Amino acid sequence: MTNPGNAREAVPDMPNRLGLQGIEFIEYATTRPQALGHVLETLGFKPVARHRSREVMLYRQGGMNLIVNAHREDARVSALVGEKPVLSAVAFRVQDALRAHTRCVELGAWPVPSHAQAMELHIPAIHGPGGSRFYLVDRWDEFSIYDIDFKPIPGVDPHPPALAGLDYFGLVQYVDPGRSADWVRYYETMFDFSTLPEDQRYGILPKGRVLQSPCGRFFWQLIEPDPWMESDHAPENLERIGLGTRDVGAAVALLKSRGVEFIETSSLHPEDRGALTRRELGSVSFELVHRQD
Amino acid sequence: MNPIQNPAGLFDSYSLHSRSLAGPLESRLDALSSAGFGGLMLDAHDVVAHPQGADGVAQALRARGLRADALGTLHDFEGLDGAQHRHKIEVAKGLLETCARLGAPVLVVAASTAPQAGTERSALVRDLHKLAMLAVPLGLRVAYQAVSWARTAPGFIDAWDLVCEADCSNLGLCLDAFHILAGQNPLEDLIEVEPERLFQVRLSDFLWDTLPAPEGQGSHDARVFPGQGAHSEQLADLVMRLARLGWRGHYCLDAPNADHAQLPAAFVMAQARRSAQWLDEDVLHRAAPLPDWTRGDPAAR
Repeated sequence: MTNPGNAREAVPDMPNRLGLQGIEFIEYATTRPQALGHVLETLGFKPVARHRSREVMLYRQGGMNLIVNAHREDARVSALVGEKPVLSAVAFRVQDALRAHTRCVELGAWPVPSHAQAMELHIPAIHGPGGSRFYLVDRWDEFSIYDIDFKPIPGVDPHPPALAGLDYFGLVQYVDPGRSADWVRYYETMFDFSTLPEDQRYGILPKGRVLQSPCGRFFWQLIEPDPWMESDHAPENLERIGLGTRDVGAAVALLKSRGVEFIETSSLHPEDRGALTRRELGSVSFELVHRQD
Repeated sequence: MNPIQNPAGLFDSYSLHSRSLAGPLESRLDALSSAGFGGLMLDAHDVVAHPQGADGVAQALRARGLRADALGTLHDFEGLDGAQHRHKIEVAKGLLETCARLGAPVLVVAASTAPQAGTERSALVRDLHKLAMLAVPLGLRVAYQAVSWARTAPGFIDAWDLVCEADCSNLGLCLDAFHILAGQNPLEDLIEVEPERLFQVRLSDFLWDTLPAPEGQGSHDARVFPGQGAHSEQLADLVMRLARLGWRGHYCLDAPNADHAQLPAAFVMAQARRSAQWLDEDVLHRAAPLPDWTRGDPAAR
């Protein structure tokens, strides 16, 4: 992979030492799986499969897998915050999950003990912000993790198309005051994320620091409270999912017709660059972002 | 005990190492808050000795409105291999978890004195980087402290060089005046240190005019509060240099000695107050303690 021209001209290369290739799934933990399922369905996600041994459901649209985890132990985090659903995990597609996991732990990640039962896949994971987890998945190319741990729901299209070409654009993480630099270093170290220049921003909430995955497929936005804000003492957390679309206007119109409500104030309203859905169930909102490519 | 005399919170900006006081932790905390001090550095021994552990200590601090400024101490961490390294990682994780439960923002790591510790720079940097990464999800910072008889970082500038090389925003330096005196570290080197990466400053004087013995033999028994030993001038110099550097943190007074171990905590706190007053009035010449909101404002200097 070495290119002599790079050395000569000092062109920075983007290392991708885990072989990251996008997001395999995002997981919500909740004590109210039906209510959350209803919200997800208005957004275009369809339930396609059920976990073999736990109260876990797989929703899908296009290339996006979204897991609703209502397994008693996992949903406890949601019970702690007034039954609001919690973004509890993000799974990254990597070249070799075990090697990636070993590397992360060597660099100072906290490994998550596996809860896999007999005949279930062990998916290695490390701790993320606020009790969330980062899973590392390498079985996404020829066959999928869902073939083993999930049973398809009969009579349902296992691959429903995405509304308005929606895909995972990234995640928004809330961090404590002064902690962005710590997390930037963390994501650089663990996943080879890189910081975007200050003037490169997406969406309608251009705050904080934005990191890009080394595969270029998704973004990670870190948002601190404004200095003038009263501390809400909320722990750091994964706040919302960003959904990419080439036509925000069309996506907003389509979602509105399905009952999705958007925030429409003078400072924040749907526009070409993006839109923000109203919070449902106290914590679930999605940000639509214009994808340029 | 004398009634509280804490005009405009003079002592609130000072912190004390819990090992400077004797007795059950809760009576030490009482003495500390009665003396008007705002916070303390906790020794992990004190936390595990509490019947309710870290949660009990956190509750005791909250009840008295005290800050836990830091937790100490992770020893002999860096420069190890194989099973020893893995063991120390587990120890580090245990202390980080204690720190998080206490609500203490900083874990202090003392430079390794283990004869088994390697001194290869890249390995030391890698270990410090790893520790900093372990601290990120817990929202914690790590302060690396030189130890005058350490193999890995005997002087504060050695510790600072390793911290810089590891290059993590949550990894910084802990300055311990005792080791600066013992190691005869040149204070001019302080100009190298970035104040925002200076996570803790611990001040102790040394009772005797001879320098503390190497290897720490008996040296703990002769640490006294700043202004009450034979090295007050050097301490004053250190504090003035830190003030000029723009450091605005809480000075942590640290005076573990055999005398303090057999005196009532309230008695020792009276000494601590005298020391803080000496620093404020005779060294820093702070006209009057300024309210918190002026801290960090250059116009208020």
